[in-house]
Amino acid sequence: MAGVNPLAFRREELFSAFLDGELSAEEAELVNELLHGDKEAMEEYRGVQQVRRALRMLPELEIPGWLLPDGHLGELLSAYLDGELSTAEQRQVSDHVVGCVQCRGELHDLDRARIAIRSLPGVDTGQLDTIPAPPASRSRRLAVAGSIGIAAAVALFFALSLGSQPEPAFSLDELGNHHIARASAEPGFAVFPPAIEVSGP
Amino acid sequence: MVDEITPSWEDVAQRYGRKIYNFAYRLTGNPDDAADLVQEVLLRVRKGLSGYRPGSFDGWLWRITRNAFLDGVRRQNRRPESALPEGDHHALGSSPSPDEVLAAVRLSDDVQAALLKLPYAFREAVVLCDVVGLTYDEIADATDIPVGTVRSRIHRGRKMLRDLLTWPV
Repeated sequence: MAGVNPLAFRREELFSAFLDGELSAEEAELVNELLHGDKEAMEEYRGVQQVRRALRMLPELEIPGWLLPDGHLGELLSAYLDGELSTAEQRQVSDHVVGCVQCRGELHDLDRARIAIRSLPGVDTGQLDTIPAPPASRSRRLAVAGSIGIAAAVALFFALSLGSQPEPAFSLDELGNHHIARASAEPGFAVFPPAIEVSGP
Repeated sequence: MVDEITPSWEDVAQRYGRKIYNFAYRLTGNPDDAADLVQEVLLRVRKGLSGYRPGSFDGWLWRITRNAFLDGVRRQNRRPESALPEGDHHALGSSPSPDEVLAAVRLSDDVQAALLKLPYAFREAVVLCDVVGLTYDEIADATDIPVGTVRSRIHRGRKMLRDLLTWPV
């Protein structure tokens, strides 16, 4: 008769559970009987055993360190400052930063660097394009771009120099205020970790 | 009877974080999804620990893990029940067993790829059993299905894998 043999199917299931040590004493005895001298059953048993072994030999992967309480947040901090994290991640960062001096310091440094970079003078390329080109436009534009570049470099230098000076006492207030300002400008952005007390401006 | 002590959130993260990560990775094949799940589970554990009543901690934790995983799947509009593609049963692992280390590396890639082809319910049962190392009772507790169904799903999941992975017995 065509179709699945229910007994054979049950036999394989018994083998599977037998290997896991999940059978009752009677069922385990039944498996022993089934395997006794039955080549086909033995083959099935080995097949189940092989799959099970392959699964159990899958390498156990290391969890990224920042996911654990004593790990650190690394690149998540920059994304946090940029408001690029999911709500769950924001909470993860907030919770972690409250208790981790190292990540709090790093967040502070990143925030300062970010402010310094963002405060560099920008170039309105749209306006430059609409300025009628004088004869020496190319060299003049290069000169303008060059001077802006130099100004930017000087500003960056000062910003970084400031950053490399002896670190003042870490001010949560200062950072908190910055985030409050940012939060008010960008609806939806999480304010600095609620667990950190921040005084208003 | 000795009272079970409720672990702290940090204990849970340290003790189970890696297992949760591996569970998610084996279900999704994706390290980012696995990391997301660990974060979500740890958040839920942190919130839920105060309401935890001593009992089967593993069952409680894996129920949270499973629910977080399924919520994530729903959020991403992924279908948890993926049908086994027709005629694709022998698409993987056609090469016979090379030996030693190379074989192990290859095999684990093949096993991972094959796992991802299983319908969710079977993949989950197999991963909880063979990767996480839960007993049938613990799986039944975590997934809220009868032990008999757990046993059947593990068997059927392994059988599907056996069909997907062809190697000489």
